[in-house]
Amino acid sequence: MTADPGDNLGGTAGAATADLTLDAKVAAADIPAELVAQTLGQYVRASWLRVRGGDSGVLPVILGLVVVAVGFQIANSKFLSAQNLVNLFEQSTVYMLLAMAEIFALLLGEIDLSVGLVMGLGSVVVAELVQPSGANWPWWAAIIATLLACAAVGAIQGTMVARLRMPSFIVTLGGLLILEGVAIIVLGGSLVGIGNSQFGNENALYDIFWGTFNPVVGWILMAAVVGGAGAGLWLREASKRRHGLETAPRSLTVLKIILMAVAGIALVGISNVNRAHFGTIEGVPFIIPIVLVVLGACTLLLQRTRFGRYVYAIGGNPEAARRAGVSLPAIRTWAFVLAALISGIAGILFASWQVSLTTNIIKASNSYVLLAVAAAVIGGTSLFGGRGKTIHGVLGGLVIGGIYNGLYLLSVSSQWIDVVVASVLLAAALIDVLSRRGARA
Amino acid sequence: MTSDRETPVTADPGEGPAGMAAVKIPDRVPPQILTQQSLGQYFRAWLVRIRTGNSGVLPVVLAIVIVAVVFEIITPEHAFLRPSNLVYIFAESTVFMVLAIAETPVLLLAEVDLSTGAVALIGGVIAFKMVQVDPGPNWPWWLAILAALAVCGAIGALQGALISLMRIPSFVVTLAGFLLFSGILIVILGGADSTVSLNNSVPNQNFIYEMVQGNIAPVAAWIILVVVVLGVGAAMWLRTSARRRQGLVAEPLSLTAIKIALVAIVGTAMVVVCTVNRGSALRSVEGVPWVIPIVLVLLGVWTVVLQRTRFGRYIYAIGGNPEAARRAGVSLPAIRIWSFALSSATAALGGILLGSYFYGEYSTNTYDPGQLVLYSIAAAVIGGVSLFGGRGKAIHGVLGGLLIGGIAYGVSLLSLGSLSTPLEYILPGGVLLAAVLIDVSSRRGAGSSTGV
Repeated sequence: MTADPGDNLGGTAGAATADLTLDAKVAAADIPAELVAQTLGQYVRASWLRVRGGDSGVLPVILGLVVVAVGFQIANSKFLSAQNLVNLFEQSTVYMLLAMAEIFALLLGEIDLSVGLVMGLGSVVVAELVQPSGANWPWWAAIIATLLACAAVGAIQGTMVARLRMPSFIVTLGGLLILEGVAIIVLGGSLVGIGNSQFGNENALYDIFWGTFNPVVGWILMAAVVGGAGAGLWLREASKRRHGLETAPRSLTVLKIILMAVAGIALVGISNVNRAHFGTIEGVPFIIPIVLVVLGACTLLLQRTRFGRYVYAIGGNPEAARRAGVSLPAIRTWAFVLAALISGIAGILFASWQVSLTTNIIKASNSYVLLAVAAAVIGGTSLFGGRGKTIHGVLGGLVIGGIYNGLYLLSVSSQWIDVVVASVLLAAALIDVLSRRGARA
Repeated sequence: MTSDRETPVTADPGEGPAGMAAVKIPDRVPPQILTQQSLGQYFRAWLVRIRTGNSGVLPVVLAIVIVAVVFEIITPEHAFLRPSNLVYIFAESTVFMVLAIAETPVLLLAEVDLSTGAVALIGGVIAFKMVQVDPGPNWPWWLAILAALAVCGAIGALQGALISLMRIPSFVVTLAGFLLFSGILIVILGGADSTVSLNNSVPNQNFIYEMVQGNIAPVAAWIILVVVVLGVGAAMWLRTSARRRQGLVAEPLSLTAIKIALVAIVGTAMVVVCTVNRGSALRSVEGVPWVIPIVLVLLGVWTVVLQRTRFGRYIYAIGGNPEAARRAGVSLPAIRIWSFALSSATAALGGILLGSYFYGEYSTNTYDPGQLVLYSIAAAVIGGVSLFGGRGKAIHGVLGGLLIGGIAYGVSLLSLGSLSTPLEYILPGGVLLAAVLIDVSSRRGAGSSTGV
């Protein structure tokens, strides 16, 4: 009963904890440490036990981030400048979103190779729909239509995987070939752009990636988000405690809230530094809250809903899940729909980031899937299903973005960047395999 | 009784030595393992196999016929089946065929190799680099090719070791390998904008250049054809009659005769097609391209390795059920590492042929390694290699590659303008999905017939 997200239901043991902790020795002997953790020290010890038991969670990727940050900062003092950090975060958002999309497939023990081209297709669709000379839809309608189209792609692929039991590897491989062709057809000519600021709809799309909040608004939003999240966390812990359920110590909750506040202040502070060479570019980029909202929604979906629990259950043991009454086809299909939907969001960001799209950019969007899988695995999502969280995708995406950005700052050519990313991916997979072995032993 | 080294021809290779050569045949023996069959019985047994999901090359051959007929009808001036175009289709398909053969042993193990494309390109560039003169090591062509095969074989062994000893999924190891070797490829090539090309006035370099571009003179081709058909025919005949003598499962002699006649007809047709002048009146281009015998030899070698050696049987055994194979005493790591090594070495040959196909020039834009590997997996699966391991043969890779090359060439003949690029993606993707759907549903058929 190491605290896998899937077995959040272990409330039964909690009622007894009060008595057992009176005698620390008895507790240590009979009950896993994380269930009896009442003080911060006990909690830290419990997490250390989990790490040793193979459930290292976000620890390796955070270590990786620190290594990346320190290493590149030593090599080039610009790396941790406010200007570059915002850049880095902007560049990483696409990896983050695609990694979050991929996690839905990976948790099931499946793979989605088409997320890169679903993103490519989404970017072309949204850009074509707002063209004043073409469809000329309002930007929000174009976004909704794009997301629906991408979700439909996911539904088709998911149905083939879930109902026809075709291997996801091949369904999404064939899917990406077809999508590549479809995207080139939708593109029509050779180029479509959203860079013309005369047209409001193109401008709105452009601003998704390139727009920023006014610094003051950034502070207010940050305060509201941290306040809201902090209150939510506190109330949740308090209510769990009232019901006698297993909870983290209060001091840890306070620590978490403080950490959130510090991270939020740092983020807004860094983003509000003027990063333009000429004129003024400052403020939190819109994409940061967009990624955070997707992260929050996916985390809620996977950790707090029945759907999420079923996803983990299928990833852990499909046959057991089936016998427990879980409808495998439905959950699998929905997971692929969600993966494609999030890839569609990435596509809208991608269109905004690239500003103009060409056939070559569509073809290049394919290579993002490998980085998405790499980001998810580097972040700590298991390839064998059943283990991982959306935050892993975000952190893994940040590592990949950091490596790209840092090596680019050092003017390392792209082929060596690929070599480094490949080595990091191998290392992450090795950690995954070894930690699984540790967990079994 | 069945000797250890013999496998019943008609049974699935994965099933291993069945030892069913009973002298007295009870009524309940399935028709496909009758020892002394007539042609009619053989045909009925074949139908049973198809119904139970062992359709073999039938779907892909049907698909090739459909593609050929459709393109012949819809191409302008019905040009698809012209002799010259048939030769070009084969040349275009070469790399898909060779890489699909390379992917086959890995798929048979129920693994996958995503680095095949990048490894193939590395092999090609190494061979091209090694025959360069001034500056260059100026190695003889055979040494350069051997070096490329050896380096790529070592790459494959390394990846195979990570997969089989560390038990990291092949998908991830070869995904990392794909990124790694795509980067190293550019490094070997000498930077992002570099090229390496063969000078076909230097005989040593010309040899590699001619592998796809060069032709065998018509007279020589006819002589080789006769020798090959006689040799293959004699071998087939002797083998069938030997099995018959020993009371083993054997196909009817009439079928062997038909097969030999078929080999002779196909061979003759091929040489005739290739001997038609496909150049201009001023500069004639005729003869069988070298690449055809090269692919046929590769096909023959892999067929023998997979069907007639202990190593090949172990590959099928592991693909069918790794745990059972392990308990039977098969060393899983050794077989897996060797399979990945031989697969990558074969891919290197594909890379060399690819460079020759592109008129002996390699640049970073020659072929996208990601596209290449997707096509080679697609070719193997379309050809009939099962993704679930344990089912497939080298010939499937060749036929699948021919189908993909044929589609690509046919689309390019149609002069569809802006629609031709997307169709080059959509058609193989659609065919791939259809092929897997057939694979999955035929496996279900196979499962139900045995009551599993």
